[in-house]
Amino acid sequence: MSALLKMKSIRAGYGEADILYDVSMEVAEGEIVAIVGPNGAGKSTAMKSIFGLLNIRSGTITVGGRDITGWSPNRIVNAGVCYVPQVQNIFGEMTVHENFEMGAFLRKGDFSASLDRVYALFPDLKAKRKTIAGSLSGGQRQMVAMGRALMLDPKVLLLDEPTAGLSPKYMEQIFKICRDVRAAGVAILLVEQHAKQALAFSDRGYVLAAGRNRHEGSGPALLADRHIAEMFLGG
Amino acid sequence: MDIFSFVNFFLLPGVVQGSIYALGAIGITLIYAIMRYGHFAHGDLATFGAFTALFVAGLLGLSPYAALPVAVVVAALLAIAIDWLFYAHLRRMPKIITTIASFGVALMLRSVVQIIWGVDTTSYTRGISRPENWFGIRVKPHELVTLLVVIGLVIALHLFLTRNKWGKAMRAMSDNPDLALLSGIDNNKVIAMTWVIAGGLCAASGFFLGLNTELRSLMGWNILLPTFAAAILGGVGRIEGAIVGGLVVGVTEELSVLVIPSEYKMLSSFAILLVVLLLRPTGLFRGKIL
Repeated sequence: MSALLKMKSIRAGYGEADILYDVSMEVAEGEIVAIVGPNGAGKSTAMKSIFGLLNIRSGTITVGGRDITGWSPNRIVNAGVCYVPQVQNIFGEMTVHENFEMGAFLRKGDFSASLDRVYALFPDLKAKRKTIAGSLSGGQRQMVAMGRALMLDPKVLLLDEPTAGLSPKYMEQIFKICRDVRAAGVAILLVEQHAKQALAFSDRGYVLAAGRNRHEGSGPALLADRHIAEMFLGG
Repeated sequence: MDIFSFVNFFLLPGVVQGSIYALGAIGITLIYAIMRYGHFAHGDLATFGAFTALFVAGLLGLSPYAALPVAVVVAALLAIAIDWLFYAHLRRMPKIITTIASFGVALMLRSVVQIIWGVDTTSYTRGISRPENWFGIRVKPHELVTLLVVIGLVIALHLFLTRNKWGKAMRAMSDNPDLALLSGIDNNKVIAMTWVIAGGLCAASGFFLGLNTELRSLMGWNILLPTFAAAILGGVGRIEGAIVGGLVVGVTEELSVLVIPSEYKMLSSFAILLVVLLLRPTGLFRGKIL
């Protein structure tokens, strides 16, 4: 398997302060990869660093072998990496359909095939296409957010805590959608608070702590490791 | 007072004045929605637009109506130029700095108007226009044109914002600027478009103010307070709010004459502003807090 998205020895932070000291990870085609770890480990920061949303001091980020370190978000989006932030990830005053149109903003010409694919992934939203996105339930809003990011047909989708604040029922649904998205040929890198559930359904996982890689391995292997479970996954 | 005198002497003039405020308030609200600051040069930009129409009409011997589109284009270009010269490099700084800078731009614009056109009162047409009588409702031709053009502009803006890709991008930028950037929407293009629309509408508001009253170098500055009151009453960032707010402020001003001397008309917009900020700072349509 070849690495689609690769972070190598990233040191990064906001302003003067560093948050990530040495983080490396990669996502291959067709993989679901979870980043887990305690609060303040730098999980979301690691994801944001891919998207150039903080200052990278050293290290490189590549997509399909192309160096994208320090690129502006709209070039990164064009390179095939789309990002769903944890909060404020939809246009709350616009309709569901308009959210998807904005997701396709950079595309020239017809994007009806992507739109059909997104509605096929989220059939619930098809009936709500004219509804103002901000009035939807939490789970449906998360679907709108993912749908918006999928409109550019990315190769890798970055999800920052997609199940935060959702009921267990919606959590299962979001995980199922992740598998459907993967089946449609999009690799996924996600940050999760619900570490056990996330590792159980991911192909691989990274455990971060204090801005550094601590462990990595297949989801089930990390889950089976008693030491990791005690230290990082809440027993 | 019978219903006809109420409509003829209070409601209609109030609606005309209110639609002029609405044009200005839409610009104020759009600029705040996209760039997040109050634009104090808006009134003087309107003055500039009004005088540009006067100049073009005089130069080419056109009717003032024919000069309006020229004034709209000139003001739109001037607005982009002002942004590029004075506001663009302040974008990353606290917004209050740009607000104060816009105050400086207001003074500059006013001085330019006074240097070129002087400080005397003038008007587009001489003589008194006679109202047409429609079943007891008396409408002057220029009042009718004002209302029709304002309605036309509002419909055009609405269609742009709901049907056009860039219009939707403007709404997206107002709604969630970070996500708009993540979607690849070009910030600078949206800002330029905002200035074109706000500047153009501003010139139209100045033109209609001049048409319905007279042209003075302070005309725009004097409607700045009611225009801001309209934008805040409607809910900052809400186009529909700016329109409703403009109409409410305009009609209230006219009606206030029933209880206070007409020289104190302006007090009513101040009172509206005060009441809204105290009781419902998000305005009628739940806008942003200024």
